[in-house]
Amino acid sequence: MVGAKEANLVERLESQAEHGGGGVWEYLCLVRKLKLRRSDKVLKYGLQILKDSKARSKLGGEEWTLYEQVAIAAMDCHCFSVAKDCVKSLQKKFPESLRVGRLEGMLLEATGSWEAAEKAYDRLLEDNPLDQVLLKRKASLAKSQGNTSASVEILNKYLEIFMADYDAWRELAELYVSQQMYKQAAFCYEELILCQPTVPLHHLAYAEVLYTMGGLENLQTAKKYYASTIDLTGGKNTRALFGICMCTVAINQVTKGRNKEEKDGSELQSLAAGVLVKEYKQKAPKNLAPLLTTTLKNMKLI
Amino acid sequence: MGGDCKYEIGQNPYVKIILHALKHRNSAVNSLLIGRLLDDETTVCITDAVPLSHSQIGLLPALELALIQVEEHFSADGLSIVGYLHANERYDDNKLGNAARKIGDHIFRYFPRAAAFLLDNKKLESLTKGKESEPVLQLYTRDSSKSWRQAGTDGTSLLKLKEPTANVVLKDYILTEKWKDIVDFDDHLDDISKDWLNPDLFK
Repeated sequence: MVGAKEANLVERLESQAEHGGGGVWEYLCLVRKLKLRRSDKVLKYGLQILKDSKARSKLGGEEWTLYEQVAIAAMDCHCFSVAKDCVKSLQKKFPESLRVGRLEGMLLEATGSWEAAEKAYDRLLEDNPLDQVLLKRKASLAKSQGNTSASVEILNKYLEIFMADYDAWRELAELYVSQQMYKQAAFCYEELILCQPTVPLHHLAYAEVLYTMGGLENLQTAKKYYASTIDLTGGKNTRALFGICMCTVAINQVTKGRNKEEKDGSELQSLAAGVLVKEYKQKAPKNLAPLLTTTLKNMKLI
Repeated sequence: MGGDCKYEIGQNPYVKIILHALKHRNSAVNSLLIGRLLDDETTVCITDAVPLSHSQIGLLPALELALIQVEEHFSADGLSIVGYLHANERYDDNKLGNAARKIGDHIFRYFPRAAAFLLDNKKLESLTKGKESEPVLQLYTRDSSKSWRQAGTDGTSLLKLKEPTANVVLKDYILTEKWKDIVDFDDHLDDISKDWLNPDLFK
């Protein structure tokens, strides 16, 4: 989950590096900090630094962090010889290290040696039963083999112990969504909202799951969470603005012919629609603004 | 409906949907296919594509919004949504999953000859490594029991590339990393200045 400002900085550094303008180390550090997956670029620029002994020695202790980062990127790009070399260098420097052991396990995973990877992780877990990264790697292992239900089980057990791991809750929610288990996904987002109530993306994701589940109560709650997203983002989140409109249409369809009291009399949807029309006129490509206006007119929101 | 429907995919939509998949290699992606039924009433011609999303494909709001806007835009030219493309997250997953089938069902309600397509990862790999003359897609059609079945497995080819050079052109674009320029509906929702119609992609 990366904010717009940070995303722009990454793009800028990436294009700077591409055009030979330097800032490569800054880029690599930012990618590592934000946990982004830019493996082809990381591999290219990371190897550049590692192959240059002057640049390498300038890094000091950070050299080994770079080896780890490049190893993982190489595995992602299927450059196994590069990955193996990086891991070997790390093994030499840090023999018997848990962190390097994990990398060895990941290398086995990357090359498709599932059983060997599992054995490696289990062996490491014997001495380090509460290592969070190892436990989560076992969930990834199951997911890579297409065993989503096993992955879900592992993550659930993990979250019983480490219930403040937001990334794990999000991953579990996404796994549930991929299996169309929306109630369970909703539960995960509820946990996230409880832990981090001011993070708008959780409110948004929760609203989207509720909308998908459908039914009057879910749609009404979804509308509330789209509204809280708008609140938390100062009205700038396009998905939330659209969400209000879609919820209103869906609620009206469900309550057709029912008492007027059950109908939603708020002005929220026309306000949201108005903001969308204004934003599209100002920022969207020329042909999309009239399309949006027509869509909202058809929805009877403007 | 006697006889199987044939599907002809134009170069532009074909290249668009595959570049989109290549832009987001780590996740499942999907696209809507636009076109019309030809006068012979047995061939569906796919003339354009709108890449949809690369995250949380099982959720409805963005999908429904896209369907409304896409239908609104293309119906002015007498075109409609005639198909759906899904690309799975994992390389060796070559089954059309439940989410994809459900979306396919939805599109089928509005266009009874709609087809679902699954990106064939192995064929795409062989294309990038060498030659591949067939489309790198698997075709699924709805049978009488309302379930999606892979068509053309008995050797008959119901899917063909309209322009035989499409794979060559695609390979070229892959080498030049053209996928960076693709915008999908997800990207548009994150930044409305991005155009999901990709009007300048092939200029």
